[in-house]
Amino acid sequence: MEKLYIHPLTVRLWHWTNAFGFLLLIATGLQIRYLDLIHLIPFRMAVVWHNWIGFVLIANFFVWLGYYLFSDKIKVYHPELSPTKYFQASFRQMQFYGYGIFRGEPNPHHPNAYKKFNALQSMLYQIIMMLLVPIMFFTGLLMWDVGRFSSIVEMLGGVRVVDTVHVLLFIVFCGFIIVHVYLASLGHTPSAHFKAMITGYEEVEDEPKHDVVS
Amino acid sequence: MKSSHATSKLILAGLLAIVLSSIGLSAHAADGEMSKESKACLSCHDKDGMTKTLESGEALSLAISTKAYTESMHKKTDCEDCHSNLDSKTHGKAKTAIKSKREFALGMRESCRDCHKKKAVEYDDSVHAALIKAGSKKAPLCTDCHNPHTVRSAKVVSPIAETPCAKCHEAIFKAYSKDVHGLERIAKGISAPLCAGCHQAHAVKAASMGEGVKDACLACHKEAVTQHKDWLPNTALHFEAISCPVCHAPDAQRRVNLRLYDSTAKRQVAEKTGVPRFEKRTDTADAKDMGLDERALWSLLKEFNQDGGDGKMLLRGRLEVRSGVEAHQLSEKSKAIRDCNTCHQQGAAAFQSVSLTIAGPDGRPLRHGVQNEVLNSLTSMESVRGFYAIGSTRIKLLDYLLVLVLLGAISVPLVHMTIKRLFKGVREKLEAERLAAAHDSGKQASTGHRHDADDASK
Repeated sequence: MEKLYIHPLTVRLWHWTNAFGFLLLIATGLQIRYLDLIHLIPFRMAVVWHNWIGFVLIANFFVWLGYYLFSDKIKVYHPELSPTKYFQASFRQMQFYGYGIFRGEPNPHHPNAYKKFNALQSMLYQIIMMLLVPIMFFTGLLMWDVGRFSSIVEMLGGVRVVDTVHVLLFIVFCGFIIVHVYLASLGHTPSAHFKAMITGYEEVEDEPKHDVVS
Repeated sequence: MKSSHATSKLILAGLLAIVLSSIGLSAHAADGEMSKESKACLSCHDKDGMTKTLESGEALSLAISTKAYTESMHKKTDCEDCHSNLDSKTHGKAKTAIKSKREFALGMRESCRDCHKKKAVEYDDSVHAALIKAGSKKAPLCTDCHNPHTVRSAKVVSPIAETPCAKCHEAIFKAYSKDVHGLERIAKGISAPLCAGCHQAHAVKAASMGEGVKDACLACHKEAVTQHKDWLPNTALHFEAISCPVCHAPDAQRRVNLRLYDSTAKRQVAEKTGVPRFEKRTDTADAKDMGLDERALWSLLKEFNQDGGDGKMLLRGRLEVRSGVEAHQLSEKSKAIRDCNTCHQQGAAAFQSVSLTIAGPDGRPLRHGVQNEVLNSLTSMESVRGFYAIGSTRIKLLDYLLVLVLLGAISVPLVHMTIKRLFKGVREKLEAERLAAAHDSGKQASTGHRHDADDASK
């Protein structure tokens, strides 16, 4: 097994802050929305925590954005411009998770520091980080002080519309986190990817393989 | 010389006359001494029980207490300033027909306007004046609240029992007299507000319309916004969407008032006089009188939008107490509701009663019931876009979606792991085949190497 430094420290710090922050946001969000069903902490405390954690994660988002904007590691997010190559790689990856993995076949994607995401991850993470997360933060910010942002809230269709978008994304992220954690356990050992996100080093198989993503 | 002396005397006498007359006038104004004519009037009218029977059969009191009059705000006003229509030659001799007390008060209203022009303009814009225009026989005229012969300065504190509003708004006044303001008024006098302190004496509007009363609260409780900001998240939204008594009258029943609002003109939509759209439309939309459902509410909104108003009509929700009596059951600050759970959970009592409101032609609200499910429906998201309370008015469909997504997300790993386990045998078999193939190819490779070595040695 060869060890490759794939996750830089800044990214790891951003990732775990984001991960724990999102879990706390989900917990406090559930408490806020389902006060009649959940009694973990008082409503007001949940709202205050939710707001503060939200602000921390907004700042954290800019850490992530700043790091990649000013680093050559931004290549990990470079999209595959050839649709044929992209869909072939995506299909191979889906085939691996849906069939090959059961037969013990190797993962068709072989990561390196500049290509750590497989075709599915690359597309999904861009949608999440550049679209869904900003919308989530923006709607959250509007609801933090509806009076202050009343003209924007009104322009977007009212507080009920803004909240519905926020909650829809919350539902998406709840689903994403569960599937994300499970997929992260599908490395060559169940804990391989988790360790990599802590140490920065990913263990990759020695034997040379054809990189299907490229 | 003689003639010039006489001229000087004449000028002096003239000046003296002017000075004396002006002194006399100012003395009249300063000490409130009545004119000779007014004294003459009171010489007859200062008699208890002096009445006139009107055509309606009512007895109109003609008695005026000189003492009360000279202590009143009108002490500098002569009788004939208001009663200019009386002819001293015929007054008291010929009978003047007066239909009723109401007709007499309506006629006398013009006399009040002569001096109290500003107040008259305010009154004309009030709900009381609108009611009179609409034909009300009960809405108050000037003299229903102010007895012109005894009227005192607003600065003079009268016992609250003498408040004229109580004549019509008795139930509200009873509630007020027991609430935090009423009790303070009784105990401390003028420092606590009486009716006019919040509702204005002349420009009085329907309290459940607009923001007038809230502004009145904040006019005295200037620090209220800052104090609420210390603990209440989204203070501005709470202040906009909730009336003060909702929390400060903790025992009151609450309701959601969906106000039809013109978003361009930025005002509540009002029914035009003579064009009763609201009642007709709501009755048609809610034939069974069960309350408007989300579909009816949406089509009703569409109808109002098609009227070609200034801009887009939408609904602005507001949480308020259900009646005027409840709005006057304000408690001490320490007893006000601070528990978020009161409102922010499903089934909260405040959201069980919903009404749709439009300003009636007289300025009072016209209401129609709305089914409370509207607040939790996805299809009414556009209709009630401006009203949302976290938890209590959450859209139910999103709850189902959350459960569905969670079940889906949990089932993905479960199904995947199960299939993986079922394929364990296949995997092991394939792995063994791979190892065997690798072993064979390794063997062949090593045999090849040996042959090569043998050949080389040869």
